[in-house]
Amino acid sequence: MPDDEPFDLAGCLARVRERDQAAARDLVEHLYPLVIRIVRARLPRRVPEEDLAQEIFMKMFSRLEQYQGNVPFPHWVSRIAVTTCIDHLRAQQRRPEFRWADLSENEATMLDAVLTNENEAAPDDALAAHELVHKLLGQLKPDDRLVLQLLDLEQKTIAEISALTGWNQSLVKVRAFRARRKLQKMFEELRRKERS
Amino acid sequence: MNPNENGWQKLTAAARRWRDERDAEAPYGFAVRVAALAMSEDPVFARSLFERFSWRALGLAALLALVSLAADYSALAQSASDDGGFFDETTVTSVFEIS
Repeated sequence: MPDDEPFDLAGCLARVRERDQAAARDLVEHLYPLVIRIVRARLPRRVPEEDLAQEIFMKMFSRLEQYQGNVPFPHWVSRIAVTTCIDHLRAQQRRPEFRWADLSENEATMLDAVLTNENEAAPDDALAAHELVHKLLGQLKPDDRLVLQLLDLEQKTIAEISALTGWNQSLVKVRAFRARRKLQKMFEELRRKERS
Repeated sequence: MNPNENGWQKLTAAARRWRDERDAEAPYGFAVRVAALAMSEDPVFARSLFERFSWRALGLAALLALVSLAADYSALAQSASDDGGFFDETTVTSVFEIS
């Protein structure tokens, strides 16, 4: 498919509904960057990203008849991707233990600054901050982790989170409140561990 | 905003500056494999057919149950009044004898 032509999503979907395999391939190629970004941001441990992406696309094809066109197709696929990732996270019973010893030097310094609030300047190592945030979020339950990731890291609005997860807006607010409280408790626990 | 909350906001702000530079294109053969799998399974047709028939079957079963209940209502009511309750006197006496 030539790169300069805009992708005809409606036409492609119509052909996929007629069981056109070439159209299905084009659709997967078109949506892959969107799906893989969602997968990489929420990738459960021990699940290869390609396997998860394949599962999401298979769900998309199997539910295609349910798509009514009320929301843009990429939004609909994003929701399938997010719920599939969250299902995988929920299936993982155990979360990795958080240990100071497992942190890199930069991550440990950053966490120390967060806990003591001594360093007023924002941390400048983006990679270390990214890794640390994910390690901390990894300690929370999947729903708590998802809501904080969407709110604080991806800066989505309550309405956007509601559309993406299928939770109503009140539930999103309640989950965010509870998740922040758990994060607060986790910080207090880490502070105690640091002192001991 | 408490100190932890403040620290968390700073941390997430720093994390947002990180850019994922990994290739986001589908790996070679991925789209072909997924498309072939999806089209060979034919799940859309099979499931929509199943759903359509199962809902119709449920509706029909409910309708038949209602019709049979309405048709036999007078007979059922008559039978219930003739029996005069679930346990008759003999049954109750037998139970007391056993216990």
